[in-house]
Amino acid sequence: MHRHDAHQEPHDELTRRTFLKALGASLALAGLDGCTRLPAEKILPYVNQPPELTPGIPLHYATSMVLDGFATGLIVEAHEGRPTKIEGNPEHPASLGAAGLLEQASLLQLYDPDRATHLRNGSAPSSWQAFVTAFSPAALRQRVGARGERLALLLEPTSSPLIASRVDVLRTLYPAMRVFVDAPLGATGMDGAFTATGVIPQYDFRAADVILSVGSNFLAAGPFNLRYARDFSDRRRSPASGMNRLYVAESDFSVTGGAADHRVPLAPGALESMLAEVLNAVRGGGGASPWSAAVAQDLMAHTGRGVVITGENQSARVHAFAAAINDALSNTGRTVWFTRSPLLGGTDTSTSVNALSEAIAGGQIDTLVCLGGNPSYSTPGAVGFSASMRRVPNSAYLGAYENETARDARWFVPAAHYLETWGDALAYDGTYSLVQPLVQPLHGGKSVVELLSVLAGEPLPDVREAVRKVATTHGVAAGDTAWTGALGRGFVAGQTLARVTVTPRPDLLSPPTAVAQPDGAITVAFAYDTRVHDGSFANNGWLQELPDPMTKATWDNAALIAPATARRLGITTGDVLDISNGNVAVRIPALLVPGHAIDTLTLPLGYGRAGAERVARGVGVDVNPLRPANGSSILGGVAVKRTGERHEFAVTQGHWTMEGRGQARTLSLAELSRGAPVSDRRARRTLTIYDPPSAPRLDAPQQWAMTIDLGTCIGCSACVVACQAENNIPVVGRDDVANSREMHWLRIDRYVEGPEENPRTITQPMLCQQCENAPCEYVCPVGATTHSSDGLNEMVYNRCVGTRFCSNNCPYKVRRFNWIDYNAGLSDTEQMGKNPDVTVRERGVMEKCTFCVQRIREAEIAARVDGRPLRGSEVKTACQQSCPTNAIVFGSLTERDSDVARQRGDQRAYTVLDELDTHPRVTYLARVRNANSSLEPHG
Amino acid sequence: MSAAARPLSEQPARTDRLALMHGRPSAGELTDHLLAPLWRSSPLWWLLFALSSAGTLLLIATVTYTVARGIGVWGNNIPVAWAYAITNFVWWIGIGHAGTFISAFLILLNQRWRGSINRVAEAMTIFALVNAAIFPVLHLGRPWFFYWLIPYPATMNVWPNFKSALPWDVAAVTTYFTVSLLFWFLGLVPDLASARDRATTRARKIVYGIFAMGWRGSGFQWQRYRVAYVLLAGLATPLVISVHSVVSLDFSIAQLPGWHSTIFPPYFVVGAIYSGLAMVFVLVLPLRRAFKLHDIITDAHLDALAKLTLAMALMLTYSYVIETFMAWYSANPAEQYTYLIARPTGPYAVVYWIMTALNVGTPQLFWVPRLRTNPVVLFVASVGILAGMWMERFVIIVTSLNRDFLTSSWHTYAPTWVDWGILAGSIGLFGFLFLLFVRFVPSVAISEVKALSIQLSAARPARATSDA
Repeated sequence: MHRHDAHQEPHDELTRRTFLKALGASLALAGLDGCTRLPAEKILPYVNQPPELTPGIPLHYATSMVLDGFATGLIVEAHEGRPTKIEGNPEHPASLGAAGLLEQASLLQLYDPDRATHLRNGSAPSSWQAFVTAFSPAALRQRVGARGERLALLLEPTSSPLIASRVDVLRTLYPAMRVFVDAPLGATGMDGAFTATGVIPQYDFRAADVILSVGSNFLAAGPFNLRYARDFSDRRRSPASGMNRLYVAESDFSVTGGAADHRVPLAPGALESMLAEVLNAVRGGGGASPWSAAVAQDLMAHTGRGVVITGENQSARVHAFAAAINDALSNTGRTVWFTRSPLLGGTDTSTSVNALSEAIAGGQIDTLVCLGGNPSYSTPGAVGFSASMRRVPNSAYLGAYENETARDARWFVPAAHYLETWGDALAYDGTYSLVQPLVQPLHGGKSVVELLSVLAGEPLPDVREAVRKVATTHGVAAGDTAWTGALGRGFVAGQTLARVTVTPRPDLLSPPTAVAQPDGAITVAFAYDTRVHDGSFANNGWLQELPDPMTKATWDNAALIAPATARRLGITTGDVLDISNGNVAVRIPALLVPGHAIDTLTLPLGYGRAGAERVARGVGVDVNPLRPANGSSILGGVAVKRTGERHEFAVTQGHWTMEGRGQARTLSLAELSRGAPVSDRRARRTLTIYDPPSAPRLDAPQQWAMTIDLGTCIGCSACVVACQAENNIPVVGRDDVANSREMHWLRIDRYVEGPEENPRTITQPMLCQQCENAPCEYVCPVGATTHSSDGLNEMVYNRCVGTRFCSNNCPYKVRRFNWIDYNAGLSDTEQMGKNPDVTVRERGVMEKCTFCVQRIREAEIAARVDGRPLRGSEVKTACQQSCPTNAIVFGSLTERDSDVARQRGDQRAYTVLDELDTHPRVTYLARVRNANSSLEPHG
Repeated sequence: MSAAARPLSEQPARTDRLALMHGRPSAGELTDHLLAPLWRSSPLWWLLFALSSAGTLLLIATVTYTVARGIGVWGNNIPVAWAYAITNFVWWIGIGHAGTFISAFLILLNQRWRGSINRVAEAMTIFALVNAAIFPVLHLGRPWFFYWLIPYPATMNVWPNFKSALPWDVAAVTTYFTVSLLFWFLGLVPDLASARDRATTRARKIVYGIFAMGWRGSGFQWQRYRVAYVLLAGLATPLVISVHSVVSLDFSIAQLPGWHSTIFPPYFVVGAIYSGLAMVFVLVLPLRRAFKLHDIITDAHLDALAKLTLAMALMLTYSYVIETFMAWYSANPAEQYTYLIARPTGPYAVVYWIMTALNVGTPQLFWVPRLRTNPVVLFVASVGILAGMWMERFVIIVTSLNRDFLTSSWHTYAPTWVDWGILAGSIGLFGFLFLLFVRFVPSVAISEVKALSIQLSAARPARATSDA
C-alpha cells in the first residue's frame, strides 16, 4: 500500500507542485535547454512493487461500510492504491451486489479536501503523542476518579464486536465509566412496543405476497434496504407469475410510496388509527374505511404470506399494532421475525444523548470522549447538547471534520475514513463483516479502536491483529488461510442473529382515542433525508447534487407540504415559512408535494450545517432546533406562517406530468394478462427512401443494448451516483443546477399523474438511448459524435468544438455540456479519486452516457488476451451493477439467449419516442401495477 | 465647399414629391456635396462615435470574459443550448441581406432608384456580417477550434461532417461576405478616385489613391468596370437566397418541433430581407437629414422601400400562418404543443405576441401612401420591425428548445448580463463601423447618382418627373 501524503501539501496559492508545474510549462515553452536539467524531484524505480499490483490494472478488495451501526458488504476498486469506485459485495446478504447512495458516495468523503488534518488541543495544534499522554490512564485517573465515574464515552451506534471488546477492556479499568450512544433519529419507537426490549424486526420479502408498509421507506433507506429492495423486486420481475402487491401508508412521499400498487397519504397520527382498523378487521371486526378493509381482506387472503412493516421511527403503538397484525395473520415466524439488536447499548434510553446531557448538567462528567457522530448538530435543540458539551471540563472528539461538535470539544482528533481503517461490524441479519482498509490514512486519521486503546493505556495496537483475534470468535478459523479467505470475501457467511419471540404490549393495542386536535393544526414530521442522512453526508457534492427522488430538488431541504394544505395557508413553493413551537422557530422554504399527507409538514434533517465543511455550509436549513427533547420524530401543534421571503429551489425536473406523451408506460396486471400491447408501433419499420440507420455498419460481434424494467425501478437513484463515480462526472453546484446544467449522464425522470391529493408516480431512468439512427450524429459539424460498429453512439471529446447542436437535436435531452471548467481547482486528493479509465472532460465539450465503454473495452481486451470470445454478460455498466432491484439489464443482442435480447422481445417492451425512428438501443419494460380490484373504481 | 452647406436645389422642385432626384445639379456640385462629409466632422458625429465606441468596448470586454471563463457565463443550459448568440447571429445575418438585395437584385432588375441608397445598404451588409461572424465562433464551447468546421486538408485526414448544416453555414456566410465585400469595394472605386482627386491633404490623397487603384475614369475603364459590376451582381444575387436558406437549415435539419419545418428557407430569406430593409430605413433616414440628402434620397426612395417592406411583411405573415397551420395539420402532438400552446401561452408568450404585433402589425401602416414617406413613422416602424425580427429568432430558437419532446427536461432560459452586454456591444460595434464609414467613405454612390442625373436630364431636360 502506498502512502499518499496529501496533507503535507500546504494549502497555499502557490504550492511547490504548482510552482513546478508552471516551471515545467515554461521549460517546455523555452524548449531547448531542458535536456541538460534534471528533474527537481528524485525519481525512483518501482522496486518494491507489490506482487499483486500491475500498474493500470485495478484491484478489488472486499470491505464493509457501517451505517447506523450495521454493515453493508462492499467491493472497492483501487487503481495503484487509490480507491476509485465502490460496488456492492454480491455475496454479502445486505448488498447482494448492490450499493446504495451513501455507500457509493462515501468514496468522495475519503478524498474530501475539507477533512480535518490536524490534531488540536483547544485552538492550538497538538500531536498524537500529547493526546496519548493527556488521555492515558495515568493522567485521566486523577480527573475521572479511580473507577472512572466521571468519565463518559459517546459512541455512534455500533454492532462491532471489536469495539465492544475494546469498551469491555476499558470497563475493567474504569468500572464506573458511562457509555452513551448517539443515535440521532434512532429506533426509538421499537423500544417499548414489546414485552421485551432491544429487539429488531427482520423480514423476508421473497415470501411475501402482500405487503403493507406503514411510514416505512424500507426500499430505499434504513439497514438492509438494498436486500429488501432486491427481494421485493424479485417478486415483480415476471408479473405474470406470482407478483406481490404493495400497500403503502405514509405522510411524506417516499421511494417506497412511489413503488406502491396502492398508496394512501396519512398524517403521522392517523397511521395508528389505520392500523387499528386493519387489526380490527383482521380479527373479524367491522367499521374499517374502504382502504383499511381492502388491505385487511388482502392480508387475510394471504395469511403467512404477508408482511406489515413499520418505519423504525414510528411510535411504539404503530409498531405494536403492526406486530399484532402480523401475529394474527401467522406472518410472524414466516415472513416476519424478531431478533435481539446487536447494537452496543441496544435501545436503552439510559444511554441516550439526553441522559448524557443531564449527567453533564449535574456536574457528573469531567471527561467526555466523543467518538464520531456530530451530536452538537444532530441532537434536538431542546436538549441543548452543544452548550452541555462546552461545559465539560475535558472533552475529546474524534471526527472527520472540524464540525459543530469539534468546535465544542477541547481536544480534536481527525478520524480515519472507513477505507483507511481495520474494523468489523454485523450486518442487520447478524452476518459478521470485516472492514478492510484500502489506503493508509491520508491525513493521519485515527479510528475509534485506536482511541479506545489510548484510553485503556495500551500501546497503539495492531488493529489488524485485533480484528483477526475477534474474528476467530465469529466463525473465522485460526490460521492464515481462513483469515485471508474471510478477508477476501469480506464477511463470514451463515451467521445470523437468533430469533426471539416477542409479543406487543397489550396496553398499546387499545383502539386509539379520537385525536383532539384543533381543526387545521399542523403536525411536523422529522425525517432522515435519503441523501445526506443525519447530516453526516452533507459535505458530499455527489449527494447534495443528487435530486431528491420525489421532489427532484437538489442542494436543499424544504418543508414538504400537501398542495391542499398549502392553499389553505396561502403558501406556494418557495415561500419561506416560519415554523415555531413555543419560543423556538425555524425559517424554511416550503415545497409542495402532491400526495403528501394534509396538515403535515415533513422536515428533512441533515441540512443547515454550520461546521467547517465548505460544501455543506449554507445549504438548506437546520431543523434540529425544533425537535422535541424526547427525540420523537413527530411534533404536533406548531404554528406556521409565511415570512414573505422567497427562495428558489434548484430543481432538476420542473414539469411533473407527461402531457400525454406516454414516455413512461404502465399496464395493469389485467391488461398484461389480456395481452394488451404496450406499444402500437413495435415491429413496424417506417417506410423510407434512405438506407437503414446511416453511417454505422453494425457488424461487430457484440451489439450492445440495455433494457430497463420500469416495473422494478423504484427511483432510488443509486445508479445516478454510480454513474457519477464511474464516469468522473463533475459536481456543478447549486446555481448551475438551478439553471439546468447538472451533468448527470443518467437521470431519473419522475412523472406524477392523477389527482394531486394522491397521485401515482412512475420513475424512469433516462440516459443516452444509443440510437441506431441517432439524431445527434448527423448534425455535428465536425463529426465528434459517431457510431461504433458495436452499436455505441460515441462521443469524441478531442474533436468536439462545442456547437451543442447534438443536444438540441437529441429528443431525450441526455447530453451534457461543460459550460465552464467544472474540474478546475480540484484538490490533490480529489484528483486521486477520479477513475483513470475515463477522460476528465475539459470545458466546452459535450459529454453523455457511453454505456460505460471503458468497461466494455476492458472486457474485450481481457477476452482477447485469453483468446476466447466475449460474452455480453461479462460487461456490467456502473448503473446496472449498483441497481438494488436489478432493473437494468445490459448485454449483446447478438446472443439470442441473453437477458437483454429476451427482454427486448417481452410483451412489455417499448422504446421511448419510437415515432421519431431513432431506433434506440435502450428498451423499457412497461411498469405493471398489481391493483386490488376492490380499490379500483373501474375494476 | 460652400455647395455642401446648402441643399443642392435652390428652389426645391417639390412639385413632384416622388421624383427620383430633385433639381438638376451639375456633376461637380454633386461630387462636392457628397464628398463633403469626408473632409469635416460634426459634434453630433463625435457624440455618436463616442457612444458606439463605448458599445464596442463593452463587446470586447464581454467577449473576452466569455472566452476566458467559458460560455457558462451566459444563461444557456440544457435544453436551451442555443439562445442569444445564435439569435444575434441570425438577426445580424438577416440584416445583412438587404444590402445585396438592393444592390444586386435591383441592378439586375434595372431599378434606377437603387443608386442613392445602395452604398449605405452595402456597407450595412458588410458591418452586419462582421457582427454576425462573431457569434458562430464565440458560441462554440472551444472557439479556438472554429477552423475545424472549414474543410481543409488536415494531416489527420478528418473532414467536417457535410451532413450537418453548420459547415455549409460557414461556407455560405464566408462566401457571401467575400462577394459582398468585393461588390462594395468595386462600387467604391470611382468614388474613391473622386475623393483622391479632391482630397484636402496629402495624406488623404495617398490613402484614397491607394484604394482608388489607379482609376482614371477612362471609357475603357468604365466599360470593364460595368461588366465586372454586373457580373458580381449576378454572382451576389443567388447568394442572397442561398445564405439565409443555409442558415435556416441550421434549424430545419433538426427534428425539434419548431425547427423541423420545410418552409424555413424561403421564410428565413423573406424575414432576412425584411429586417434588412428596416435597417436601411434606420440608417438612411438620419443620414439623409444629417447630410441634407433630400434631393438625392427622395420620397420616391422611401416610398419604394416601404412598399418592398410591406411586401416582405405579407410574405412573412404568410409563413407564420402556414407554419402554424402545418403544425396543427401534422397531428404530431409535440409539434402542436410547440406552435399552439408553448409559443402563444408558454413562458415566452409575451415575446411571441410582441413579435407578432411588431412584425405583422407595424408594416400594415405602409398601406397608407402618406405614411410611406413620413420619416418619423418610417423610422419608428423600422426600429419596431428590427426588434420584432430579433424576437422572432429568439422565439424560434428558445421556445422550441425549452419545451421539446420529454417533459422531464423542460426548462426555461434567462439571459445573463453578459448576454445583454454582447447584444448591446454588437449594436455598438455596428454603429462604430457605420460611423467610420460615413466619415471616411462616400456614403452615396456618387458616380451612380451623377449618371442618374445625366440620364434624367437627357430623358426630360425640362422637369424631373416620377420614375418610380
